[in-house]
Amino acid sequence: MTAIALGLRVGRWGVLGFSILSFVSSYIQATGFYQLAGHTPAQRAAFAKTMGQLASQLTLILPPPTSLDTVGGYVQWRSFGGLAILFAVWALASGSGAARGDEERGLVEAVLATGTTRSRWLASRVIGFAAASFVAAFASGLGLVVGAAGGGESVGFRSVLEISVALAALGLSCYALTILIAQFASARAATAAAGIVLVILFLGNTLSRTFTWLTSWRWLSPFHYYELNQPLAPGGAFDVRATITMLAIAAVGAAVAALVFESRDLGGPFLSLPSRPRPVSYEPSRTPVWRIPVVRGLYDRRVGLAMWAAGLAAVGAVFVALTKTVIQPLLSIPTLTHFFGGFGGGQLYASFLGYFWLTFAELLFAGFAITQVARWASEDTEGKLELILSTPQSRAAVVVERAVALTVGAVLIAAVSGVAVALAAHYQAMNVSGERLAEGTLLLVPFALVFAAAGSVLAAWNPRAAVGLLGGLAFASYLVNELGPLFNWPVWLQDLSAFKLFGTPLSTGVDRSGLLIMIAIILVGFAGSILLMERRDVGA
Amino acid sequence: MLREMAVSAIRTSKLSKDYGLARGLFELDLDVAPQEVFGYLGPNGSGKTTTIRLLMGMIRPTGGAAYVFGLDCRRDSVAVKRKVGYLPGDLPQFGSLRGSEVVAYLGGMRGGADPTAVRSIAERFDLDLNRRFREYSSGNKRKLGILLAFMHKPDLLILDEPTSGLDPLNQQEFYELLREARDGGATVFLSSHILSEVEHVCDRVGILRAGRLVRVAELEDLHHIRAHHVEIEFAPGTPVPEGAIRSAAGVEDVTVDGGRVRCTVRGSFGPLFDAIHDASVTDLVSTEPSLEEIFLSYYSEPEQAQKALPE
Repeated sequence: MTAIALGLRVGRWGVLGFSILSFVSSYIQATGFYQLAGHTPAQRAAFAKTMGQLASQLTLILPPPTSLDTVGGYVQWRSFGGLAILFAVWALASGSGAARGDEERGLVEAVLATGTTRSRWLASRVIGFAAASFVAAFASGLGLVVGAAGGGESVGFRSVLEISVALAALGLSCYALTILIAQFASARAATAAAGIVLVILFLGNTLSRTFTWLTSWRWLSPFHYYELNQPLAPGGAFDVRATITMLAIAAVGAAVAALVFESRDLGGPFLSLPSRPRPVSYEPSRTPVWRIPVVRGLYDRRVGLAMWAAGLAAVGAVFVALTKTVIQPLLSIPTLTHFFGGFGGGQLYASFLGYFWLTFAELLFAGFAITQVARWASEDTEGKLELILSTPQSRAAVVVERAVALTVGAVLIAAVSGVAVALAAHYQAMNVSGERLAEGTLLLVPFALVFAAAGSVLAAWNPRAAVGLLGGLAFASYLVNELGPLFNWPVWLQDLSAFKLFGTPLSTGVDRSGLLIMIAIILVGFAGSILLMERRDVGA
Repeated sequence: MLREMAVSAIRTSKLSKDYGLARGLFELDLDVAPQEVFGYLGPNGSGKTTTIRLLMGMIRPTGGAAYVFGLDCRRDSVAVKRKVGYLPGDLPQFGSLRGSEVVAYLGGMRGGADPTAVRSIAERFDLDLNRRFREYSSGNKRKLGILLAFMHKPDLLILDEPTSGLDPLNQQEFYELLREARDGGATVFLSSHILSEVEHVCDRVGILRAGRLVRVAELEDLHHIRAHHVEIEFAPGTPVPEGAIRSAAGVEDVTVDGGRVRCTVRGSFGPLFDAIHDASVTDLVSTEPSLEEIFLSYYSEPEQAQKALPE
C-alpha cells in the first residue's frame, strides 16, 4: 500500500495535468459540436458529411468515425481518438521513468532496501498508473458530460464509464509494454526503444486502414482493440472482449516485466552484449569535440539525434508512399480528375503530401523540442548546470549554446528527413517541387525553435514544471489552430499558434509574415530566458 | 600576482540569503587570506552550502556582498570561476559518459583539460577514467569530483564536504593533495561537519550555526570545544576510582554502572589517564561525538557561544 501511495505521489502532477487536458479536450469538442453542427437534423447531417470528409484525411491519426451528427459520435472521434495518442505518450514517459528512471535516481534501490520485493514494487507502479489513467480518462468523460449539458443534452453515465475504462485500458497496456521493453534496454535507450515499439504498434494499426497487407497484423496492436470500443456513438458499443484483451496485454506485459526484473541486475538491462574489457586509463578523452562549444553538446547527444533523424526519414518515406496510395485511386475517377486539376494550384501531390507529412512532422518537431527542453530542465534539477556554471561559462553563454545546439540538431534532422522524402517522392514519380519541399522542411526548424524558446523561458523560470507546462502550451497551440477557425476566435490569437504560423509551405509557399513572427518569438523567448536565467538561483 | 596577494582570497560583507522561516545565511562577515586553508564547520542545514553557492554566484544574496580575490562574486562571476576549482556536495549524474569524457567535457569548458595534471590526480586516487560514470561507486564519483576541482590548478578551491564517501586511505591521499595545493599557492575553503577532518588540514575554522557565523577560530582553539565520549570497563571485583574521575580536569557527565564508567572528556586525556592510572582497566573506548552533539552542548544559547571559545 505504501509503495502504491509512493507511486501515486511520484505521478501526481501527471494525473493532474492529464486529467485537466483530457477534461478540456472533451469539453471543448462537445461545446464546439453545438456551435458548429446546428440544431436541425438537416444541419447536423450536413455537418456530419463535412466532418466525414475531414475524417477520411485524418485516418492516419484518428480512427474512422461513426454518427458524427451526434455529440457522442463527434466527441468519440475527435477527442477520444486523439486522447489515445496522448495516453500512449503519457504511458511511455511514466513507464520508462518507473522501470528505469527511478533506478537511475536511486529510488528503486532505496525502496528495495526496505524489504519490498521487486515484483511488488513493479506491481505497485502498475496499479498506481492504472488508477491515475482511469482518473484522467474519467475526467475526459466528465468533460463530455459537462459540454453536452451546456447543449441541453445528457450523456449516459454507463457509456462515459465504458469509454473511460477502454481509454485507461489502452494507457495501461502501453504502460505495461513500456516497462517490459525497458527491462531489455539500457537505461539510456529504454524510452527510445519502447517509443519505437509503440509507434510501430500505432502506425501498424492506422496504416492498415490504407495498406491492406497490414490488416493481418493489427491484432498485435492495443490501439486496434481500443478503436473497437465506440460506446459514446449511438449504435456503437463497448467491446468487452477488446477491452479484456487490452487488460490481458497489460497483465501479461507487467507479469513478464516483473519476472525479467527479478532476474536482472539493478541499473543494467536483462541482456547485454559482452563488452570488450578496456584497459585502465588515467587519461582524459583526446576527442577534440569536447572543447568546441555547440559541437560538444551535439556529440553528447549524437545517438538521440541519429535516432530522431533516421526515425523521421523513415516515417517521411512511409508518408510519401501513403500519399501516393491515397491519391492514385482518386485520380483514376474521371470526375475527380477535373476537380483535382484546380486543387492547390495544380500542386496536387504537394498539397496532400504537405497535409499528410508536414502536419505529422510538425508534431514530431514539437516533440523533439520538448525532449530537448526536458534535458535542459533535468540538467538544472540534477545539478549538472551547477557544475557547468562552476566553469568560466556565463549563464547567457549556456542559454545561447543550448539554442544553437538545438538549432543545428533540428537542421540535421530536417535535412535528413527532407532528403528521404525527396528521394521517396522521386522514386514514386510524384511531382513535388524540390525547392518548396526544401523550404517546407527547413521551416520545421524555426517551428521547433518556437517551442524551444518557450521551453527555455519555462526552464529558466521553473525547471521542475517546464516540461509539463510546455506540453500544455504545445497542446493549446495545436487546439488554437484546430478550433480557432471553427469558433471564429480572434486572428491575433490564432497567429500565436506555431501550427498556424507554419502555414502550408508545400502548396502555397512559405508564409513570410508567419516566419517573421516565429523568428520574433524565438528571439524574444531566448532573450527573455537569458534575463530570467541571470536573475535566478541555481541549485537552490 | 602581487595585487592578488594584497587582497583577500575570500571576503564577505554582511552576506545574507534569507529563505524565510529563519532559514538561510545571515550577515556573514568573513575574510580568508591567500594560501590559507579555511575550514567551514557547521551541522547539517547550518548554511555551509548556501555560503558556497553564494561565493560561486549560483544564488543571489538578499543582502551584502561576496568577493573572491577582489572580484564581485555576482557581477564578475565568470572571472571568479576562472580562479576557482569547485567540488559540489553532490556530483550530478553523467549517465553513460566515461570518466575520461566527463573530464574532457568540463575541462573543455575551461579551454581544455591538462592531461598531465589529470593523469597525476587519477593515478594517485587509482581512478579508472575508462569506466562509465554510472559504473562508478559513490567513492569513485567523489574522486572524479576532486579531480574536476583540482585539475586546472586553481588559485582557490571551494570544496563542499569533500571527503564524504571516501575511504580512510583516500581521505589521507586527499589531505596530502590539499597540502600540496596550499604549498603551491592555492587557497582552500573547505566545508565539513567533521571536526577531526578540519583539524587535520585547516589553518583556521569558521563555525556556523543556524545561518550565523558563531566564531572564527585558530586551530588550537578547537581543542577547547573538542570532546570525546569515553567508556571505561574495570576488571571485575576491582575498585572504580569514581572520585578521581569526577574530579579530573576536563572530565564531565560521569555515570557509573557497576564496573563500567561513561564520561565526556574535553581537551587533553591526561587528567583522566592520571585518575585511572592505578586501576585495573580491561577496556577503554573513545568515540568522537557528532558536531551536532558538540553544538548542542556548547552553542545551545547565544551567550554560551560567546563564552565557549577564548577571544
